[in-house]
Amino acid sequence: MSEREIGHPSRRRVLTIATIVIMSLLFVRLYQLQLLYHGEFGKKSQENSVRSVVKDPIRGYIHDRHGSLVVDVGPFYTITLTPIEYDARNTPFLAQLLGLNESLLAERIAKASAYSRFVPTRIKRDLDYESLAAIQENLYLLPGIGFEVEMKRTYPTKARATHLLGYNREITEAQLGRVGDYYRLGNVIGAGGLESSYETILRGQKGFTFFAVNAKGQVLGPFEEGTHDIAAKDGFDLILNVDVGVQAFAESLMTNYRGALVAIDPSNGGILALVSKPDFDPSIFSGVTPADLWTELNSDSTKPLFNRATMTRYPPGSTFKMVLAAAALDEKVITEHTRIQCYGAYRFGDRVFKDMHAHGSVNVVEAIQRSCNVFFYQLIMKVGFDKWTEYGRKFGFGRASGIDIGEETSGLLPSTSYYDRVYGKGRWTQGYLVSLSTGQGEVGVSPLQMAVYAAAIANGGTIHQPHAVQYIRNKRLNRLETVEQRSNPTGISQHTMDLIREGMRRAVHDPRGTGYAARISGIVSAGKTGTAENPHGVDHAWYIGFAPFDDPKIAVAIMLENAGFGGAKAAPIAGLVMERYLYGELKRYVPPLAPRATKPADSTRAITQVRTD
Amino acid sequence: MLDYFREYFDYKILAIALALAAIGLVSIYSATYDAGVGMIFTRQAIWATGAIVALLVATFFPLRTLQRIAFPLYGGTIVLLLIVLIVGRTISGSKSWFGVGGMGIQPSEFAKVTTVLALAAFLSRPTTNLAEAKHLFIAIGIALLPMMMVFLQPDVGTSLVFLTLLIPVLYWSGADNFTLAIILSPMLAAFGALLGTIPFILAVLISLALLYYTKKNLFTAAAVFGLTIAIGLSVQAVFERLPAYQQKRIVAFLNPEADPLGSGYNVLQSKVAIGSGGLFGKGFLQGTQTQLNFIPEQWTDFIFCVPGEEFGFAGASLVLILFSALLLRGIKIAGLSKNPFCGIAAIGIVGALTTHVLINIGMSMGIMPVIGIPLPFLSYGGSALVANMTMVGLLMNFFSNRKAY
Repeated sequence: MSEREIGHPSRRRVLTIATIVIMSLLFVRLYQLQLLYHGEFGKKSQENSVRSVVKDPIRGYIHDRHGSLVVDVGPFYTITLTPIEYDARNTPFLAQLLGLNESLLAERIAKASAYSRFVPTRIKRDLDYESLAAIQENLYLLPGIGFEVEMKRTYPTKARATHLLGYNREITEAQLGRVGDYYRLGNVIGAGGLESSYETILRGQKGFTFFAVNAKGQVLGPFEEGTHDIAAKDGFDLILNVDVGVQAFAESLMTNYRGALVAIDPSNGGILALVSKPDFDPSIFSGVTPADLWTELNSDSTKPLFNRATMTRYPPGSTFKMVLAAAALDEKVITEHTRIQCYGAYRFGDRVFKDMHAHGSVNVVEAIQRSCNVFFYQLIMKVGFDKWTEYGRKFGFGRASGIDIGEETSGLLPSTSYYDRVYGKGRWTQGYLVSLSTGQGEVGVSPLQMAVYAAAIANGGTIHQPHAVQYIRNKRLNRLETVEQRSNPTGISQHTMDLIREGMRRAVHDPRGTGYAARISGIVSAGKTGTAENPHGVDHAWYIGFAPFDDPKIAVAIMLENAGFGGAKAAPIAGLVMERYLYGELKRYVPPLAPRATKPADSTRAITQVRTD
Repeated sequence: MLDYFREYFDYKILAIALALAAIGLVSIYSATYDAGVGMIFTRQAIWATGAIVALLVATFFPLRTLQRIAFPLYGGTIVLLLIVLIVGRTISGSKSWFGVGGMGIQPSEFAKVTTVLALAAFLSRPTTNLAEAKHLFIAIGIALLPMMMVFLQPDVGTSLVFLTLLIPVLYWSGADNFTLAIILSPMLAAFGALLGTIPFILAVLISLALLYYTKKNLFTAAAVFGLTIAIGLSVQAVFERLPAYQQKRIVAFLNPEADPLGSGYNVLQSKVAIGSGGLFGKGFLQGTQTQLNFIPEQWTDFIFCVPGEEFGFAGASLVLILFSALLLRGIKIAGLSKNPFCGIAAIGIVGALTTHVLINIGMSMGIMPVIGIPLPFLSYGGSALVANMTMVGLLMNFFSNRKAY
């Protein structure tokens, strides 16, 4: 035992005194606040109690590359009710004015009272003008009823661009828990597309106005002349790479298809158009989101909510042949002069892989031009699986492209390790490669990845991260900010790329080429058709292409579900879209298409039409 | 029979604790009356029942066994703190919760109890000598380990309590003034650093004076002084990395008007609420500040406004008097205890409760920084209520065993 003593009486005294001092300190302060300053604080609480009211910012606008307004905001009116001032005897009259069921209205009022008796609660949002006028006429009869103006998205152009732009909808309770404390129930949040991925940029920052309220919660006026108010900061605008005219035209061409089209500027990866069909009118979600409409869209068997441009994973068919050609040429497995005999079929083990025609003796350029399968069947045996995978990766397959609209698939690029994992080591044969050589089998790509690939071929071998947004207009610093984007060279030689491009040019311009239907008058273009074999039904049609050949300004990838041959269905649409973009108008006559729905009321009908096709 | 009861059952401290808990339930009922969070009161009432069970268990728990399992209990809560850091739920920016069937459990609240017990168990050993640096470091380490883990959650307020309870505990255990100065000066510097450059310099000067006048050897004093400055500077570096809401709270203490929507707003509204209460208050459920929900989540950290506004100086004084009586009773029990373990543990409990009362009520009245720690027995929070009632039960236990060595 040391000489120390635990709990010495003198120390006990010190601790007792310390506690008394601390408690006295609090006591003195309490006395000061409640008895000395009571007059001042009492007055403040009686007359100067502060209530904050949220001021919603204006959500950012979205413009296309030429400055056309694509996404706008417009007002809508909401009726509010402050329970403590409201007279319940008015409920039948109010229900009649609002066109609401009386018991439903009573239920909403009860809910509002349970939330707070003093705060205005929204009881009917997005009121039509007639009801609004009726309410305004009778406002003096309805104490406790008020209205506020909210903002909602409107879409002034003919383009829908649903999956590109996304839409706005009321935040759900499930989301509230996830997205942090900025949002409140009844707030709007971006869903899908750019509205979602640029949410924090578009939404701006809420402001607050402070009101002095009395003990009953009645507003007496601005608190201290509004010196504490915080102005709402409006959201920043987006300026897109998209050409809204081309977008609308591409959408119209694809009205009766299920599929997707992506057009990219090969020089920088800018998205010129991104179409996914079927789609829906995004304005149906602005303001109030009708629950039944949402359920209908969600359960629709054609999946209009699904972004086919970035989320599908189909085999690319023959459009993938250039990957193998690039691997063979760049790895010096073949030269441009190497010729292979095509008898119209290829035997591997006990299986026979057929070709469309017997192409005879073909070199690599002719094989691309005429889409000779046998050439590529034999080529993959010479190049080997690992090199094929490596070049697929160089062109951006098997990974997400990094597009700025958020949701996309990375697709599937098979590799030795993938097959070892799925089938087991030594349990799969070289025969699996035969299908891969012509873009069939397990390989899965999205139309977006195909467009990036087409753009890389067009620009001589650079993979640009695709981006829909060109600039953000920073309203605080009043300047345009460029959206950052990566570019990676594939490292494939210029000579190889030239041969591939030549094959694709001939595919369009030689009558024996498969992409003859994609020709544009007066402009040399290049392309490649594809048909993805579909074990469940009619094949999917593919086409990728770019133009002009010598100085590419646009690269396009298009996929049409169950449309059959790529050369017949997909190629003409790609040609028209490129023509529309390069000339700014159409040079040739196109027969009129089915009229497009523009009003929200018609949009559901448009969806139904697609479904019954 | 009645004499026997009085001899072994400290009904006074029980009555004080129950009165505080009752005021707490009334205040929570009022604070949540119009806020659209009806479940809060019901939940707290359920927790209160559980807390009384915990109190009774602590009261009648065999003292020898308690002394023996002090370290295992401490180890258990350390593991819980570790788990909560890894898998805990995040509530208002800090990871300090376990979700169990809809009700959250906060291990940091229980860690306070077990840390006090572990400190008492270590310091009451006859072999422990605080003049030896090794033993002093072990004692500090026992408090510092849970403190660091709670700090990482990050819950700065609660982590502070582990440090402040250490001072009276060491003092009670016979540490000399120099030892206390060694511990106090880095804490002063850390606190000063949070408040700004001038308070930091002031804290360093006070530390220098403390160390100089209590010094036993110059070398240790100089080394501790160097450490003090280093800790103060590193706290400033840590402050920069604190989550924004914690930073804001500290900044708002210095200038409440700077952030009218954040913690500064809370303090302004809280002062208005208490100040407008006057002598007898506005009456139950009649407090305009409380009923109009001017203070967000008033039922947690700003609960003191409710008795302040609705029951006025009379009601708020009663709360202060009850707390004073509870704390002084705790010190008295410590003094009565023949067993040093009981004495030290009782002082640790008083130290922890004093910190909570001073910071929480001081914050509500604008004389303490807005550090989010609950007011014992009054604030909403089941884990805290159970832990506080357990501490009262332990004090009752020490009372009935006061004559045992």
